[in-house]
Amino acid sequence: MRTLTKSWDDIFFQFLVNAFLLTLMVAVLIPLWRVFVMSITPLHYIDTKTLGLWLDPRIWSFEAYKQLLSHPSFVRATTNSFIITLGGTVVNMLLTVPFAYALSNPDLPGRKFFITMALIPFLFNAGLIPTYLVVQKMSLIDTYWAVILPGAINIYNLLVMKSFFEGLPDELKEAARLDGANELQVLWHVVLPLSKPILLTVGLWYAVGHWNEFFNAILYLNDAKLQPLPLLLRNILLAANINEYVEYDAFSSAPVSAFRAASVFLTMLPIIIIYPRVQRYFTKGTLLGGVKQ
Amino acid sequence: MNKFLLKCLLIIAALSLILSACGAPATPAPTEAPVEPPTEAPEVAPPTEAPEPTPEPPVDLEIWVSGRVTEAGPPPDDWAAYQIIKDELNVNLKVVILPGTQADQDTKINTAAASNSLPDVFFANRDAWYKITEAGLTANVEELLPLMPERTKTHYSDPDRNKQVTYNGGLYGLADPGNLVQTDAMVIRKDWLDKLGLEAPKTLDEFLAVAKAFTNDDPDGNGKKDTYGLCAFIDGSGLNAAGLGPRFDFVYGAYGVAGTWNLSSKGDFGLNVRNPNYMKATEFIKTLNDAKVIDPDWPTLKKDEFRVHWKQGKCGMMQENFAALSTKSNYADFDANFPAGEWVPFDPPTGPDGASSAGVTIKPARIYAVSQRAMDEGKGPAIARLLEWMATDGYMLLAFGQEGVNYKLDANGYVSTEGLEDAAKWTAKEAQPLTQLANMVYIFSDLELQARYPAYKAASGREMAPLSYYAAFQKQAYTNSSGAAVINPPANAADFVRFYSENIVQFVLGQKPLTEESWAEYIAGLDSLGAKDVEASALQTLIDASFIE
Repeated sequence: MRTLTKSWDDIFFQFLVNAFLLTLMVAVLIPLWRVFVMSITPLHYIDTKTLGLWLDPRIWSFEAYKQLLSHPSFVRATTNSFIITLGGTVVNMLLTVPFAYALSNPDLPGRKFFITMALIPFLFNAGLIPTYLVVQKMSLIDTYWAVILPGAINIYNLLVMKSFFEGLPDELKEAARLDGANELQVLWHVVLPLSKPILLTVGLWYAVGHWNEFFNAILYLNDAKLQPLPLLLRNILLAANINEYVEYDAFSSAPVSAFRAASVFLTMLPIIIIYPRVQRYFTKGTLLGGVKQ
Repeated sequence: MNKFLLKCLLIIAALSLILSACGAPATPAPTEAPVEPPTEAPEVAPPTEAPEPTPEPPVDLEIWVSGRVTEAGPPPDDWAAYQIIKDELNVNLKVVILPGTQADQDTKINTAAASNSLPDVFFANRDAWYKITEAGLTANVEELLPLMPERTKTHYSDPDRNKQVTYNGGLYGLADPGNLVQTDAMVIRKDWLDKLGLEAPKTLDEFLAVAKAFTNDDPDGNGKKDTYGLCAFIDGSGLNAAGLGPRFDFVYGAYGVAGTWNLSSKGDFGLNVRNPNYMKATEFIKTLNDAKVIDPDWPTLKKDEFRVHWKQGKCGMMQENFAALSTKSNYADFDANFPAGEWVPFDPPTGPDGASSAGVTIKPARIYAVSQRAMDEGKGPAIARLLEWMATDGYMLLAFGQEGVNYKLDANGYVSTEGLEDAAKWTAKEAQPLTQLANMVYIFSDLELQARYPAYKAASGREMAPLSYYAAFQKQAYTNSSGAAVINPPANAADFVRFYSENIVQFVLGQKPLTEESWAEYIAGLDSLGAKDVEASALQTLIDASFIE
């Protein structure tokens, strides 16, 4: 039996790679750790000592989180964000998947025309005002649809998904068709089960986009009851920043920097929870979707 | 099971979207029958039978305002004011709270303007207001003023503020009082002065001497060299805060060049950097920096970090906002760290020619505009009715909520919350939506100030009265720079201000030699960025707005 022996060069190379990756990991983790430490720093501490990278766990304070979570509008804004994220992603996928599948079929009549029509707004965006006018004329102002429908199909995501579908073996689809399946059945029973990586990847992109949504909400959602979490957090932070004019400071028990850091963590939380479950599909989906076979 | 769950979630999400879309209110329909302005009654013979007067349909008004607390949301649907406004003024009011930042507000207003869907009354920052007015989308409001006499008296009688909304000689906006002025001035640690046997400085030379003593003579007595004579940071942004910003204005003021602009007269008008005294003031700051009497973090500090530094006991003198310094929540940590510590105001030091200034004052205006569309629809009188009510019968309701529920008046007639339910107090987080329109009614009267900045006893036992700081600041000398509010930034404002400010910082830090030659090069650099055009344009704007004769 042949044994594999590593030369010193190999070991040295491996060491360099590991050292590089370790450095990279530390470079990524330090800012995150710093943000976490800031978010749990009590006000009296920051006003007496200089904040470093280490904070004694005995003085950790979750006051900033408590203040943010206990804000009267927090639950409503979080619910709005979930509705926009969940509903928006569903709408995105319901529209993107069939469109991408149809475009992936080389026999689709007028395929080039449809692809061109999809590419035109991708390359030449109409801009803010025309989009606003369309949303307004469709009476979508002050509805969740106003922040969901304008970006219902992201052309980049559509093209990535189309490429993925094109990479699937035609034989499988042909076999289903020979068995009498129509195109919807082929899509549902054959293509989609094989497309988990791209569905989860594109779904995650869409979901993250919706979760971080605040600009369209500023424009289209006048009713504060519909506003999403990022907008609320943004307003809370702004209020904390200008607190010299707030005579009864609502955020007196935690420093502004702690609010900023805590809100970063709160907004990241759902993505941090979801991402590891999707990660194993993520690289595969991006690579396969990006390469045309 | 998982698939079933997923399907259920999808169905729920889709249904919730449909339901929410159906349930949310659509944009308000335009008023079908606008209210006609009152006209003189024609002479007619008295009718034999008085017909039943036909009630006029209520006028729908939508107003976009900058809320008192941006994150608190609009008043609730059952807000008492809505019903009163409907019953007494015949107005259906819809309130939209604008986002917190100026950039977001401008985006929303500009988008609405571009799509010709501005609301009836809206708050706008001056740059946005100017562009919208140029486009003919705001209405001349002069005809509304006689319809709201009390509000005009209390809100719209300041000439400096009105100039900020003057366009082509007419008033195209309502310039409400913006914020308190002269709120920031110099303060000094009295306990340090006492310990070192010093007096508060009166001149710049004395300022340097006291700053050196605070830095080198261990004024806090902890045996460490951890204190500085002066704490500051580069505050503000934009053309009017170019250079080192307002925290260093007391030095520039001592040389008679506080602020970005010299607005004293048409002949002298221009950027203050052209005045040789500006260089001398910069030299003095460099002297402070070279002597290491300024907190060395000053070039990179943010506002909240600066405030951490004085609460940590690093600072002997500083320019600070009275509320940031002394209100209960802001003072608590300093009080806990230094129970014997005491900040007292002192007059800004005088310069070689005897000049002094605590900083510049720009009378801030909170601009509300009436859309031309609303005026064309005949909503002007209803708008005037509403605004007048806000300044009279509705004032206390909008400023502090309902009497007996959210506030009460004490024996002196001042607003109090004593004995009220915690969550209902007008100061409570839960009650914030009820006073969201307070910015439309505040006039900074004694009643308001006593309510907003109450005296209290700190944990150390020290009696604190924020308004005593405010009163002391009001007595100090400031440089009136109200005209600067109307100067529109140039197209290359970001580059211009960056060049302006970065060079000053480099001079002070010694990264560039501060000599006559280098200063001349600096001015030439500003000119190459269009400084002369900026000045010419600014002068014309000031003349148009009657700030300069």
